[in-house]
Order: sequence, then structure tokens, then C-alpha cells
Amino acid sequence: MSNQRKCHKMQRWQMAIAFALVFLFAVSFAFAAGQQENQAAGAEETVTLEWWTWDSEEYDEASQRAMAKVFEETHPDIKINMILMPVSGFETKMTTALGSGVGGPDVTFFSIANWYPKALPLDDLIERDNFDTSIYYDAFWKTKTQFDGKTIGLPLGVGAQFIMYNKDLFDEAGVAYPEDDWTTADYLEIARKVANPDKKIWGCEILKRPFRAIWFNHGEDVRLYSPDSKVVEGYLNSPGSQQAYEWFYDLMRSGATPSVSDMETLSSENTGPVDLFMAGRLGMATLNQGHMLNAVKEGMNFGVVREPGLEGGERYVNAWSLMVSIWEGSENPDESWEFLKWYVGPEGQKFLMDNANLFPSIGSVAKQYKDADKDYVQGFLKVLEDTNVAIWRGTHPSGSKVESGIKDLWDKIQLNLISRSDIKAELDALVPAAQLTLEEAKKTLGK
Amino acid sequence: MKRSKRSAIDRRQTIDAYVCISPWLIGFLIFTIMPISFTIYYSFTRWTIMEPPVWIGLKNYIFMFTKDPIFWQSLKVTSLYVVMSLPIIIIFGLLLALLLNLKIRGMNLYRTLFYIPAVISGVSVAMLWTWLLQPDVGMVNTLLDLVGIKGPGWFWDPVWALPSVASMSVWKVGGSAVIYLAGLQNIPPQLYEAARIDGAGRRQAFFKITIPLLTPTLFFQLIIQMIECFKVFTEAFVITKGGPLKATYFYLLYFYEEGFQHFNTGYASALILVLVTVIMGMTVFVNYTSKRWVYYAGEDRAS
Repeated sequence: MSNQRKCHKMQRWQMAIAFALVFLFAVSFAFAAGQQENQAAGAEETVTLEWWTWDSEEYDEASQRAMAKVFEETHPDIKINMILMPVSGFETKMTTALGSGVGGPDVTFFSIANWYPKALPLDDLIERDNFDTSIYYDAFWKTKTQFDGKTIGLPLGVGAQFIMYNKDLFDEAGVAYPEDDWTTADYLEIARKVANPDKKIWGCEILKRPFRAIWFNHGEDVRLYSPDSKVVEGYLNSPGSQQAYEWFYDLMRSGATPSVSDMETLSSENTGPVDLFMAGRLGMATLNQGHMLNAVKEGMNFGVVREPGLEGGERYVNAWSLMVSIWEGSENPDESWEFLKWYVGPEGQKFLMDNANLFPSIGSVAKQYKDADKDYVQGFLKVLEDTNVAIWRGTHPSGSKVESGIKDLWDKIQLNLISRSDIKAELDALVPAAQLTLEEAKKTLGK
Repeated sequence: MKRSKRSAIDRRQTIDAYVCISPWLIGFLIFTIMPISFTIYYSFTRWTIMEPPVWIGLKNYIFMFTKDPIFWQSLKVTSLYVVMSLPIIIIFGLLLALLLNLKIRGMNLYRTLFYIPAVISGVSVAMLWTWLLQPDVGMVNTLLDLVGIKGPGWFWDPVWALPSVASMSVWKVGGSAVIYLAGLQNIPPQLYEAARIDGAGRRQAFFKITIPLLTPTLFFQLIIQMIECFKVFTEAFVITKGGPLKATYFYLLYFYEEGFQHFNTGYASALILVLVTVIMGMTVFVNYTSKRWVYYAGEDRAS
């Protein structure tokens, strides 16, 4: 066979392959177009909403799927396509979808402030349906629904941190249970008394970070920077801030806590000290309502009290709610609103309260909680009345960036690399860098 | 006439070739060239993803090099990690490959066993090492305690944290050894026979035959493992969170926090481009030096 014939034969094969590929593409396109037409025809009857969610201590997958089913039964023209994903994957997917404006969900958690501009404003829908927003706890309505003067979501559930104490360990050590007006000094003293290093029992955990409720309880000037987000000086290094760091210093040297490495290895990711507490190794731990309900299930003998503060000073709480919103790119805003107001309204939250571990953000529903008369539930609901740290955090999005820049001082105290008297100088030294970080962060993250 | 027919066939074949590789070419353009181009563009902007990017020229780079101590810290920590970790992977990988190249019974089993760590997820490995090096109850310090040595705080000690993370590289030598093994098995056995006949000992055979003929593999390993070392992230993300005192605050951790936690995407783009430039620079340097120490079979050094 000559080279020329070989060449022609090869070309014929190539042509055949090319035609086959074109044919396959054509068939695929025709099939896809047909599918789309079918979907469009079906859409006239029912609308399918895409609902992105995750599972947690408060609402597991089964209860959420069951809730969606109940909604579909009462709303036959709306179908819910629930897509469950891990929190980290959820954040990446949301950021990509919202940033590109393509492929976002109809309804989902808007859990990151950076996403707020992409949520659909709900004020007109609320007004149109005369939806009663006063049913929600005021603190969460203020902190978890508003952005730029508009209502962009509804608050689902409430959560808060508080101190859970192991009554058995307290009784064993002959220590009185803490009360609501207890101070940070009381906390240290109790932790020391409850600790029993020989039995590997500790009084309390090591805090994970500063500038949370206990820090704020040290005074109004104990903030990362000024309320107008302009000045770090006088806030990060204020006398109250110094006092808070010194208190942490004393805690680390009290002998009442596990070592830093024990805390890291014996605590599961994001659960904080719950494992140690549940194992009866911690007298006190800063936990939340999900942990509290697990302790009830385990039959633990425990009490609940708010975080300690200064005598007579204002008390803060790390409390949260999850804002559920409609993506501004949703093609079905009316149906999405129907689902949203049911899901985050009394019906949906009651369902998740009765069938999972959700504490509703609606007072009238919370009162129907099956153990509402129990001490621990009363204690939890009382904590919600304190001023929420989220009010400051929510209006100062640069806070986390500034805080991450000052973490070295936290490490130095934990690792015993400085003395107590160095704390003031260390705080003063952090101010210039923190000020620069604040100014840079404001450009990208806002005030 | 004949020439024009020939060139028509060539042209047609060229077109056919491009048609055939077009799926890959289109994928390469969409998934590689476009993202890289956008990253370069975004590095000159202030961008939070949700709002349109704002052109700020070289400000990200100027801030990075003149006002950002965390950039320099993370670059320093990552470079030190490369310096500590790379020799472990290169040398231990070679030693393991030499052992796995011995002709003894059950060798396939040993090879499988040593390769197993390479297929275990990075997060699981990190958790395992957290427990091994736990200062109070970890296996390493418990063993040290038995011989009267008080072990350090490992991941929780600012002096030991980086060496601890680097020592985790031992876990990766199985994967490296497999590549060496392939290189070792490509060395013709006749060379060793000839050397033995000429009276060469094992040591001479190793340094005069094994190492020179293994230099292309060494060169490949050096480039690939160096890039891998610069990309260290999981260990710090899972175990140390960059601490204590930023002793393990690796470059990619800083990039991750800027890009995906603070949504400072423009600055994160600039950060990653600097890392790419550093890696490219190091690769070019190693490539340049390779002319002096890498030997390819059939190569005529005299010419």
C-alpha cells in the first residue's frame, strides 16, 4: 500500500470519527432540550424550589426532610429539593454561586455577612402578606434579619453559650452552685476548688479566644476598637481589656484547667470542651443548648448559669440565630417566600422543635417546649435576656480580622511566655499593628 | 505542483490534529488559562467576590512587601519547612527504596505496607500525629519518659512546632520510594556485574553506578516534592491552626484565611501569584543546576 493510500485511508477514519462525535453531540443536545421542555411543561403545575441546608445538633437530616414533606403536603403546588451539604462545602458553594450570580439556591442560610447584599429584600412581601414579625425574639430580629435598612431574612432557632456545671463534681468538692450574679473572681475560685488533678478532674476549660461574652463583661471599653471603627487605642489596651487578659493569665496558672494540648486533643473539632464535660472530667464548661440537651439525654446531673462578669456590671451573652433568606437570583421568589415564612415561621420551627433539638426564635412556640418548666430550660431562656455580643460583632465585620492579628498575646499567656506585669506593655505594643489591620480591613470588609 | 499537494495534506493533517485535541485544548483554556488570567487581573484589584472588583494597581503588592509582617512570617515559615522537610522525603525515600529493592521473600508485601500511608487522607494522618505527639499522653513522649527523657511540647511548643510538622514528612516517603524504586529497577544489572568483575565494592557501585543513573529520578523528585512542600496546608489547618505564635503559619494558610475567611480575594490572588513566582523561580534554579549533576543514559558528557 502506498503512503498516499495509507494517508487517505487514515483521513477517512478521522472523518468517520469526527462524524460520530458530531452525531453524539447532536443527540445529546436534542435529549437535553427535550428534558428542558418536559421540565418547563411540568413547571406550569408545580414549582420546585432548591433548598440548601446542613444538619446539626439542632436539626438533623431526617427531621428536615420530614419537615419538607409536611410543607409539600400542605402546599401541593410547591416541591422542595432539599440539598444537604457539610458547612465548609456549603460556604464555598454559596460564595461561588452568589459571586458568579449563577446556580444559587432559592432558600438557604445566609450565614456569612459577606453574602448579605445578595439576599432578596423581604419588606414588600412581609407587608403584602401582613406577616407578623413581632413573633420573633426582639434581639434576634434586630441582629439576624436586617441589613442596610432592609429586612433580608428570618431568624431560625436560637442558640447561646452559657456555663454548664456538673452538680456531682460540685457536691463531691463541697462547693456551692454558682448563681447569676457571680463574678469572674468567683469563677476562678470555684474552678480551683472543684479541680482534682490526682483524679484528672479539672475545674473549667481553657477559653478559646478573647473578646467574647466574658471579655465584654469586663466593661464597655473592652472592645477591639471604637464603636465608630476608627480607633484601636483606648479599647484593645483599655484598663478593662488589661483586666480581662490578666484574669485569663490567672486562669491559666490556677492549676484548674487541663493543659493546652489536652484541650486540643481531647476536644473534637468545633465541640469545644463538651467531650471532657460529658466524660465528667470538667466541673464547668462553656457550652450551648445543643450540648445541654445531649447532657439531658445522657442523664447528667448538671445546672446552667450565665457567664460570669464584674460585680454590678452589664452582662453579655454569645447568642446566635441563623438567618434564612431568599437568594436575589431566585426565579421563584413568591414560592420561596411561601416556603420561607412557613419554615422559619411558627409551623416549621415547632416541627423542628418537636422532632429535633431546635429552640425556636419565636417566644410563643418556645413556651410549648416539652421541658419548658425544667431548671435548665429556664436557665437557658434567661441567658437570652442578656445583651448579645453579636450586636457589636454584627456591626463590626472587621473585628475578626483585627482579632486574628492579635492572637500572639493569647498564645504567649497560654504558653507562659510572659509575666502578668507584661500584659499592659504587650497590649500597648499591639495597638499600631491592629490599627493598620483595621484600616486595611475596613476597605474590604466594611466598617 | 507536487509541493503544493504535499503542503495541502500537511495543512489538513494539522487541522485534523487540532480537531482531535480540541476537547483538551478547550478544557485547558477554560479551566487553566482563564482562571490564571483572572487571578492575575484580580491581584491588581480590591475584590470581596460579592461586589465588582475595583482596580487598585500595585497596591496589594506594595502593601504585601512593605507593610504586611504576616506575609513575611508565613513565607519564612514555609521556606523553613521546605528546608526541613525536603531532605527527609528525598533521603528517607531513597533509603527506603534501596531496602525495598532487595531480593528477599515477601517483598511485595513490604512494598504494599510502606505505600499504605501514601493513600491515607491528609486529615486522618494529621489526627494520628496529633495523638502520637501529644505531650502528656502521646506515644512518643511516653516512650521517651520510659528512658528518662522529658519530651517537648511538640505541636504546642513554639520552638518544636515547625520541626514536628516537618517530621510528619516521614509519612510521605512511601510514595516517594515507589518512584525511586522504578528508577532503581531501570538500571541495567549488567553494569553491576561488570563493576563486580572489575573489583568494585558495594559502596563504589552505589556511588559510581546507582546514584549517577538515578539522578534523573532524583531531579524529578526534587522538583515535585519541593512544590508539594511549598503547598503545605493540611497539617497546620488541622493541628496547629498556624500557632503557637505563628510558628507554623504556612503561606497557604494565610492565603486561605485571606481568600476564604476574610473574602479579601484581590489580596489573596496577589499572595498566590507571589507563591507561584517563588516556586517557578526555585524550579528554574534547580533546572539550571541540573545540567551539572543529572546524567541521562546515552548522553555524551564529553561533547
